[in-house]
Amino acid sequence: MHGHVSEPEFLEQISGFLGVYYLTLATMNGIAAYYLWQSKRSAVLFRVGKNQFTTATLWLAVSVVFLFLAPIAMSGDPQWMRLASIPQPLRDLADFLMGPVVYTVGTMVVLLLMFLAREFFVKPVVAWGLLNLSLLLMGLSITDVDFAAIVTKPDNVPIVGLVFLLGFFTWLATYRAVENDKRKERGEPSLEALNNEKILVWPDLVYTELICMVALTAFLLLWAIGLQAPLEEPASSVKTPNPSKAPWYFLGLQEMLVYFDPWMAGVVLPSLVIFGLMAIPFLDYNKAGNGYYTIKERMFAYLTFQFGFLVLWITLIVMGTFLRGPNWNFFGVYETWDTHKVEALNNVDLSEYFWIYLLGQARPQAPAGSATATKLAFILYREAPGIIALLLYFIVVPPALVLYSKFFRRLFAHMGFIRYMVMANLLLMMALLPIKMIFRWSPLNMKYFIAIPEYLTNL
Amino acid sequence: MADSKKMSVAEILAACRKVDGGASDSSETPSSAAPAESSGQAESSAPAKAEAAEESSKPAAPKPAAPKPAIAQPGAMSTADILAAARGAKPAGAAGAKPAAGAKPAAKSPGAMSTADILAAARAGKGDKGESPAAGEAPRPKASPKAAPAPKPAAAKTQEAAGKTAPVSKADGPKDTASILAAVRQGAKPGPVSKSDLAGRPAVETPARPAKAKVEVPPMPAKPEYARAPQPQRAGEGEPRRGFLAAFFGVLIASPLAIGFSSLAVTHLLWALGLARFMFPNILTEPPTRFRVGFPDEYAPGQVEEKFKAQFGVWIVRYEFEGQSQIFALKTVCTHLGCTPNWLDGEQKFKCPCHGSGFYKDGINFEGPAPRPLERYAIQVADDGQLEVDKSQKFQQELGQWTDPASFVPV
Repeated sequence: MHGHVSEPEFLEQISGFLGVYYLTLATMNGIAAYYLWQSKRSAVLFRVGKNQFTTATLWLAVSVVFLFLAPIAMSGDPQWMRLASIPQPLRDLADFLMGPVVYTVGTMVVLLLMFLAREFFVKPVVAWGLLNLSLLLMGLSITDVDFAAIVTKPDNVPIVGLVFLLGFFTWLATYRAVENDKRKERGEPSLEALNNEKILVWPDLVYTELICMVALTAFLLLWAIGLQAPLEEPASSVKTPNPSKAPWYFLGLQEMLVYFDPWMAGVVLPSLVIFGLMAIPFLDYNKAGNGYYTIKERMFAYLTFQFGFLVLWITLIVMGTFLRGPNWNFFGVYETWDTHKVEALNNVDLSEYFWIYLLGQARPQAPAGSATATKLAFILYREAPGIIALLLYFIVVPPALVLYSKFFRRLFAHMGFIRYMVMANLLLMMALLPIKMIFRWSPLNMKYFIAIPEYLTNL
Repeated sequence: MADSKKMSVAEILAACRKVDGGASDSSETPSSAAPAESSGQAESSAPAKAEAAEESSKPAAPKPAAPKPAIAQPGAMSTADILAAARGAKPAGAAGAKPAAGAKPAAKSPGAMSTADILAAARAGKGDKGESPAAGEAPRPKASPKAAPAPKPAAAKTQEAAGKTAPVSKADGPKDTASILAAVRQGAKPGPVSKSDLAGRPAVETPARPAKAKVEVPPMPAKPEYARAPQPQRAGEGEPRRGFLAAFFGVLIASPLAIGFSSLAVTHLLWALGLARFMFPNILTEPPTRFRVGFPDEYAPGQVEEKFKAQFGVWIVRYEFEGQSQIFALKTVCTHLGCTPNWLDGEQKFKCPCHGSGFYKDGINFEGPAPRPLERYAIQVADDGQLEVDKSQKFQQELGQWTDPASFVPV
């Protein structure tokens, strides 16, 4: 998609930005080191003889590394730039490994690991180190033409910002929650209870808001001037841009549309999301966590939210932005967007699996010219495997959870039958998306559990 | 007390007149010193009420004056005057009046007094007070006690007197308006009420109750003709039907407002008609729904003709379907969400750029989320031997419509 520029030319173009980028990172780390040193907050990492190696020393060293990278990147010389980029074999390997399954399952696993080892990951040293690492990886990757094209596209810049901003806020909340949980164990009040100095709405809050408002407006103005809105070819009803992407905040929905019938993914599931959010106050009986961050006291609510938000929404947005290319094919971040990339797919409905592959016979079909009711009966008979499977999923799983899980038994005892069933079915609906994705990607290539195209009902 | 509210205006006015008389009568008794003044007030207010009570023939209801006397009386008294006067009168009413004016204790019956009562009492007391200094000058006695209301000059003095009395009464303790009013209603002293006061109160109130029970309500007079509810008339009974139409059109132009709304309605109607007309334009700029796409032998086996996609939104395909070689017209709209797929010659498939749905050359969906095959338009051989596509008819495979001979041309 971007063969207009030769590689040396491209490196020349990117070098200025990259030099400033590394200088900024160096300054950032330098300031951090200076702050830690001056405020005497730097912790001792290890000692060599008499010399202490503190966190301030570490960030100073990192700053120096970035300082050395800056002129290399600034040179724009292909030979030197190669030093400041990820080696081609590694990039190819990353492209090769990166697939929908690896990406989605990988993100889930990484998030789960970070959650389990949260006491380690929320340490400021670790968090700052991860930030530096991701920024460095971005700097090393941006010398790749395809990576630069996808990351610096004006449409996609907000998503890059979103990833870092979200990382920061998730860290902040988790950090305080972990701290509060520890304090609770020691019987101390939460961080928020310690610092509950009340301030006045006027002028304290209103002034702060005003300043934020002005600053944000100025920022948006600068952004609008700096990054032009993309101007595309005139609209035509017979020519759809390839790839055709929704606004970034709807990319999660668009990704959902790949796995479900438009009616399901576009109407039913989003309505269920809103309905489920509205139902939370009636389902959540846990009064803990009001006014302070906590994870241990609200484990179930926390995990459900983070699964729904980070896994089902944010990772899908990131996937739709960076990893979906022409024809909605999956592309690695260093992969050229080839319109003619062939992905061998042949999606098969569950009913086909059941009747044709398992029973070795044609799918039941109403004799030609039969009445509508007969046709409908035959359709339901044809899709019976899927219908039964879904009914079992929604009816049998909730009581099974009660029977076999101590935790759900407690929920059931607290909530009563109706509230529990509503909650469990909403959860199962939520889980249906990744289940469906996995069925689609797995060698099964499952298309729809229930496929009734005659009545626009496909699930 | 509720009974007293039934007094007619005429009665109230009469009572007021009497109150005036009583006040001026009592004012003749010389009283100049402060204690004497208060007792004088007590005397004057008590008879005034008594007379009023006699007038309404309800012993338990001392409902004399109502606001009226204020107008009939010397000039207009300001509310401040009235309140000040009430402050002065109260202690007397509470402490002095009962023993002093023992003749008519029933008249002073506490119960709840309405604001009007209080104001009236205050006025009565005030007029008295205002006149007591005036009594020294002695122009008053001459004035005929019943017929003439208090003369004007008295009004000016009233103001002065009010000014004088107010500071005096201040000494009795905190007297905000609310507490004064409440106290007057209950015949108690103003300010905070002590327990003993509370204990004493019901004893005073109870005698009032049986008195109330005795009241006989006179039978209501029959309603006059004009006050009776009109008999509902049946529609169309009286006036002729023709009148309705006339009335209807009459209403449309009855007033400027009606004319405005009528013209608004007419304008909207015209717009609606214009809109309806707009929906059926004389000339359609969109391509015709029936068009010719060349002769069947121009199409090679397995060919997908894309040149009609931009203008007509259709692919002409010559391909095998269910073992039969045929030419058919596929609609270029994805059955998933309506994007326009592209024909990828290298992969021999239609591929949608929005969500990655893929279709074989015959239009059958095989990958991605599209739930059903592409749709076919009607196609036939026209009289000149060319193929003619008719977009007004479409055929869906999942409904078994592709077996319809109108959906393809066999070759």
